[in-house]
Amino acid sequence: MSIFEYNGSAVVAMVGKNCFAIASDRRLGVQLQTIATDFQRISKIHDRVFIALSGLATDVQTLYQRLVFRHKLYQLREERDMKPETFASLVSAILYEKRFGPYLCQPVIAGLGEDDKPFICTMDSIGAKELAKDFVVSGTASESLYGACEAMYKPDMEAEELFETISQALLSSVDRDCLSGWGGHVYVVTPTEIKERILKGRMD
Amino acid sequence: MKLDTSGFETSMPTIGFGSSNDMLDGFSTVPSFDLPRTTDFDGFQKEAVQMVKPAKGTTTLAFIFKEGVMVAADSRASMGGYISSQSVKKIIEINPYMLGTMAGGAADCQFWHRNLGIKCRLHELANKRRISVSGASKLLANMLYSYRGMGLSVGTMIAGWDETGPGLYYVDNEGGRLKGDRFSVGSGSPYAYGVLDSGYKFDMTVEEASELARRSIYHATFRDGASGGVASVYHVGPNGWKKLSGDDVGELHYHYYPVPPAIAEQVMEEAAAE
Repeated sequence: MSIFEYNGSAVVAMVGKNCFAIASDRRLGVQLQTIATDFQRISKIHDRVFIALSGLATDVQTLYQRLVFRHKLYQLREERDMKPETFASLVSAILYEKRFGPYLCQPVIAGLGEDDKPFICTMDSIGAKELAKDFVVSGTASESLYGACEAMYKPDMEAEELFETISQALLSSVDRDCLSGWGGHVYVVTPTEIKERILKGRMD
Repeated sequence: MKLDTSGFETSMPTIGFGSSNDMLDGFSTVPSFDLPRTTDFDGFQKEAVQMVKPAKGTTTLAFIFKEGVMVAADSRASMGGYISSQSVKKIIEINPYMLGTMAGGAADCQFWHRNLGIKCRLHELANKRRISVSGASKLLANMLYSYRGMGLSVGTMIAGWDETGPGLYYVDNEGGRLKGDRFSVGSGSPYAYGVLDSGYKFDMTVEEASELARRSIYHATFRDGASGGVASVYHVGPNGWKKLSGDDVGELHYHYYPVPPAIAEQVMEEAAAE
């Protein structure tokens, strides 16, 4: 098993009509053994930008702390929040700084940009940005997630339907992966509210 | 009267480049397999061993108690990180009074258990009485020993009821054979042992024993990534085996640890009662 599969993870983000949803599993494991079922993979940078990190858990936590620090400095200097596109470029630069000793994680970034237009992107562990208009996936269950999202996704879904779609895609994909699952964590973000929900999934 | 020595024959499989054993009774001797025609036989064998290695991702357990033998297993098959099936039958019915559990290579376990069933039936016909659990497990262990080092992956428990009472043996692909009261095999076995060992008493009723077996498998599926699916529980008594339950462990979790309803729901329930 590769180092990316050491802890196990599944992350997905989807675009809807003036909203986005970002979801992850909740398992923290050491290879096949499950250590925790409430691991936080999705983090809020500010009210309109979220980042979810898959991969090695220690790098997930450290990278998140570094990004929060950089964003706070930006807020102090610019006196405003970062746009999601800018934040994605920041993450990409920070990852490439460690090109020859990288952070072993793959981020998924989702946010609401100008005019409440949703923005999602993912990157590999050295910062190659991949922008998408519909959905992005990451983690040990990524291949199953690609299939599930491709089948279930429709453009311009409202927040409730988007929540249903992303939850079904996540749960059905992690049910085919030994290393991720044990529940789900979904954030659905519209211009007016952030809704956080925990999914009841198979705990095996 | 000539002694039946077919059980003693454990000759190595003949290196057959298409040689046939049609003249011999194929069942009473060790089945012979064609060997692959490669230039690097050892390398090929090493790869074959590595291919089945991840396959011992499973949890099976069996224990003897006052009322017989309890046998339980999960039903997940995994290939590295991918779950290939959630509905594999890991408890194999060798004959109406003997069960075998599967851990390791699925093909290996299925084939050798069926082969064992055949030999047990032949023993019955030749000797006019059923084979003992000890004898059956010995037959299997000897067969597997003759294939030692060839890359078979079999970690099985033979559980049954014979004239001496309940019997339980552990047999593996190294040719090892152990008699015992309690065994658990597979990647989830440490977790199952924890629950099984702390809850075990010899004087249990069938209901208590089946609940213990089910809970042990459930806890193993919770902690072990390579175990999951359905927890099947079988009981072997004086009249043979009987399947007691097959519960989906996803539902078992919420049965053992129900999620308390959210406060908002409770408020709505009170309003409706008024």
